[in-house]
Amino acid sequence: MNRPARALAALILVVGAVAPARGQDPRIDNRLDAPSRVAIKALLDSAAAQGIPVQPLMQKVYEGLAVGADGPRIVAAVRTLKVEMASVHRELGTVASADEIKAAASAVHAGVPAVELGKLKKQGGLRRSLTLPFTVLADIVSRGVPVEAGVNAIKSLVGAGAKDTDINNFQRNVSDDIQKGAPPAAAAETRAKAVPATKPDASKPEQQDQN
Amino acid sequence: MPEWGGGRTTLEMIVQELQHPVRLDESFERRVMVRVRRLHAERRSRGWVAVASRITHRPGWAAALAASVVAVVTLGLIRTWPEGRGHAAVGTAPVQFVLVAPDAHSVAVVGDFNNWGLNDSALVATNHEGVWSVTAPVPAGVHRYAFLVNGKQFVADPSAPRSTDDDFGMPSSALVVEDSTR
Repeated sequence: MNRPARALAALILVVGAVAPARGQDPRIDNRLDAPSRVAIKALLDSAAAQGIPVQPLMQKVYEGLAVGADGPRIVAAVRTLKVEMASVHRELGTVASADEIKAAASAVHAGVPAVELGKLKKQGGLRRSLTLPFTVLADIVSRGVPVEAGVNAIKSLVGAGAKDTDINNFQRNVSDDIQKGAPPAAAAETRAKAVPATKPDASKPEQQDQN
Repeated sequence: MPEWGGGRTTLEMIVQELQHPVRLDESFERRVMVRVRRLHAERRSRGWVAVASRITHRPGWAAALAASVVAVVTLGLIRTWPEGRGHAAVGTAPVQFVLVAPDAHSVAVVGDFNNWGLNDSALVATNHEGVWSVTAPVPAGVHRYAFLVNGKQFVADPSAPRSTDDDFGMPSSALVVEDSTR
């Protein structure tokens, strides 16, 4: 074999050795059955093609593997998450960050309609990240706050320009109130009123006129 | 055996087809003989070594070509798993995880930020008279996590927002980390 042939063969051997290492993740390949791997790869490809963040789907796979769930159950969970993220992706638009989509999907999972999250995003504006408000909304709804009351509470906080610290305190207070026996809707409504406003509520035109 | 029209079987039709004489181009024999004579003359002028050398080169190139095709096809077909963490581009912030568990023998933290403890990546908490804590840099973003008590029981963080998507029947919590570099 002459020199070019040897060089080409050596190059191919190197590429052949490197390619599998690049393409496989032993954390997944060693623990998931083949049909589930294929199904998950298809879901990931489909999500990427739709512009949906793929990372949360991978994290769902790792979570499933960590708890010892079987392949079909992991595939089902990934599929559900992908559907939820697709619905919020449509409503939030391309301005939403991957974190916002992930947090919003969690709220959808709790029962909040994606369209309501889209309205919140529009209210919050382009620069305001709603990752924390969506996370807190999912939390309070899961604690029994009715969806409408929860959405209204978060809407008033976002509209008032509440800081993330205030929203964290709001979540903690609502959680404590419910744990002490308060009706969840009343707890959310009351605690939302207690958060100091840092900007005029965009939903109230008369306040805007005063400025 | 399937039957065709006229009661003939497929096998019979194949046999009949194979029995037909193969018609060759009239120049075929002439072209074959020209090649044979050329090869013979070349062998006589260069000797067997030269011809053998030419022959041994061919499998090398063929193998290289075949391997390159395989490599290109393989690289094209391999669909990679996305990286587990994928937070290289974002900043991190130190986060303290605390769980009061006086009866626990061990407590660790697993979540999105460490691929749920796969491959021994769990954050091991230290015990201070029943108050278990660990502080670690966590990438900016929203994460789901849980405490792993005694290596088998998943426990949500009672001081954090709940994570609602407990698809695997495991309680977990949500954590939003600000990007401290912004």
